[in-house]
Amino acid sequence: MLSRYAALAASVAAIATFALATPASAQERTVKITGFGAKSGVVRVFGINSEAALKAAAEEINKAGGVTLGDGSKAKFVIEFLDDRCNAEEGISVVRRIASSDAFVAVGPTCSNVAESLFGILQKKVGDASDTGLQFPIIADVAAKGGLAKISEWAFRNVPSEFEMYKSLFAWLKTQHPTLKTIYGGVEKDFAHSNATYNVMKDQAGLNGFQVLGTAEWLLNDTTFSTQVRDMKRAGADIVAISAHPFTTCGVLKEMERQGVKPKLLIGLTSSSSIETLQGCAKQAEGIIIPTSFAPVTSEAKKAADDVAKFGGSADLHSAAAYEIMFILKDVIEQQKIMGKADTVAADRVKMREGLAALKETKGLLGKVGRTADREAIKPFLYVHAKDGSWQVLFKPAS
Amino acid sequence: MGKRRVPDVDLLDLIDAVQSVADGMLFGTTYALLGIGFTLVFGVMHKINLSYAAASIGAAYASLLILAGVKAPAPVVFLMAAVAGGVIGAVVYLVAFKFIPLANPLATLMSTVGLLLLIDEIIVHATAGVPLNYPALFSDVLIRMGPFSLRGDLMFVFLLGCLCMAGLLYLLYRTRLGLATRAVSQQPVAAQLCGIGITNVNVQTFVITGVVGGIAGAMTGAAIGMLSPLLSLPLTVKGLIVTVIGGLGSIPGAIVAGLLVGGLENAFQFLRGVSERDLYIMLLLFAFLVFRPGGIFATAPGRE
Repeated sequence: MLSRYAALAASVAAIATFALATPASAQERTVKITGFGAKSGVVRVFGINSEAALKAAAEEINKAGGVTLGDGSKAKFVIEFLDDRCNAEEGISVVRRIASSDAFVAVGPTCSNVAESLFGILQKKVGDASDTGLQFPIIADVAAKGGLAKISEWAFRNVPSEFEMYKSLFAWLKTQHPTLKTIYGGVEKDFAHSNATYNVMKDQAGLNGFQVLGTAEWLLNDTTFSTQVRDMKRAGADIVAISAHPFTTCGVLKEMERQGVKPKLLIGLTSSSSIETLQGCAKQAEGIIIPTSFAPVTSEAKKAADDVAKFGGSADLHSAAAYEIMFILKDVIEQQKIMGKADTVAADRVKMREGLAALKETKGLLGKVGRTADREAIKPFLYVHAKDGSWQVLFKPAS
Repeated sequence: MGKRRVPDVDLLDLIDAVQSVADGMLFGTTYALLGIGFTLVFGVMHKINLSYAAASIGAAYASLLILAGVKAPAPVVFLMAAVAGGVIGAVVYLVAFKFIPLANPLATLMSTVGLLLLIDEIIVHATAGVPLNYPALFSDVLIRMGPFSLRGDLMFVFLLGCLCMAGLLYLLYRTRLGLATRAVSQQPVAAQLCGIGITNVNVQTFVITGVVGGIAGAMTGAAIGMLSPLLSLPLTVKGLIVTVIGGLGSIPGAIVAGLLVGGLENAFQFLRGVSERDLYIMLLLFAFLVFRPGGIFATAPGRE
């Protein structure tokens, strides 16, 4: 009998709780932010990290009360992340799908080849009635190839400028290591980002008085590097600069170790300042110097790294950009009084684009981030080097 | 590295060229092992198993997964890769061959392509695509012979590959299982009438080729020092090239072709650079298809 009363009391309590909770829940608004990037294929880790960073930042914003919409109501961010498989056609299809929903902005993509094609389907110039391109703002977190946002006025990036990073690095090397005169390069020839960055490295090395003795070339999925490293050995350069992603960077570093190639200095690609390189070849990568726009050196950056880890990702220069983007979007939503309603989607997209375009400066995890007229970011950066199996800060140039 | 002009070749270039070819041939052992797997399945079932290289890399990954958290010595990791390869081989047979109409040659081709992509994606999801360190034996050994040197780890890969090939040849020509396999390969109906269970022979063939694949995957990981899902597709292509050049169904052909392709790949890399290297390997493949479709050891050259 007692258990019947208990069950009845529990039911009444549950119904009462539900009845009380329902009106409050109905009032709570949400704003969905859709990210997209590679979540399958060999660059899956980038998508995992971006998604984790977006979710970590959204949680942080939501904990602090959420975002204030144009009508004064508060809303919580909800993150959705779609897979574009690092494929241009897939990326375009994903963005068309996002643009057909109530979304007023999207964050992504991972790969530069996707960004290049994708930004091409956006309206080039705002207000050009003859251009029927998609009028939908996109802000990129990872796609690293230089100058991509120029393609469309609807395209934005919170990606560090590799040109500035390597320009600064080679100028610094010239002052810090005046005895080093020669450099030998290595590049993953079939990857857009590696190629573009290698050209930057080569140019900056030359401008700073280093003599480029030669370039070893290989492909993204190559397995043997003995021929290339033998050429490198014969050149006997003081510095070896490798513009490649972790798999082949590690392959080349291991072959260099086998052949006893010991340059006085090693330089790597920004994307290789990640945990992948250390998992693949921490011993051989010891000492490699890489400029990066993220390291857990400030309290905000440390917290962000911890929060991203809670969501199953790793904070690096790419995912840190995604983390920062959520705060940028919050500010723009509030400044532009974006309504976030189904019937204001078109107006919200225009407001978001205008808000992003008007930004002169944003807050980044390592300090203030400047914005350029062509919708790119000027991010603070530092040089890290691999030491004792982890990335440690070597030098922070003055901003 | 830009293209080289042959007339400019000096003594150092010559030494480098020979060294490159030697390195390539040693690495070619892994291609040979993959070629053997392709060729064995083709020999028995007259089908191409396109998921073979992906399954081999999958077996190497599985060895790391099984031994995760245990600091196992390299030989144990290799052994585990071979065991995992055998298990994956049986699964591949069940999924891509057992219930697929064998009379339609395209059906199994497509099912194995599907399996290739599936295995690749499973690896990517399990590891987030991150390259993983793979243990090697004798990686710190360098055998010097004048201006030339041979990597100890590649020599080990080469010797283990040779042992596998010898073991397979023994299995095929000196055991009852080998006799049954050859009987099914040559006259499946007659073999069945003699009481040989075709399904059993097929499963055993897939398990054996899976074990060889597991060893090939482990040796590839050991030779590179790492595993990455990036390896599946290029190794599938290399395995197929080796199978065609060696002659479909010929184990000695696969062995020689593996070493040949490995050596030539590095030679073309040395002479013409990375952008043209694969072009010449493909031309070699077409040359064999046109002028010697039966492969290196074909008894009578010509086309049907």
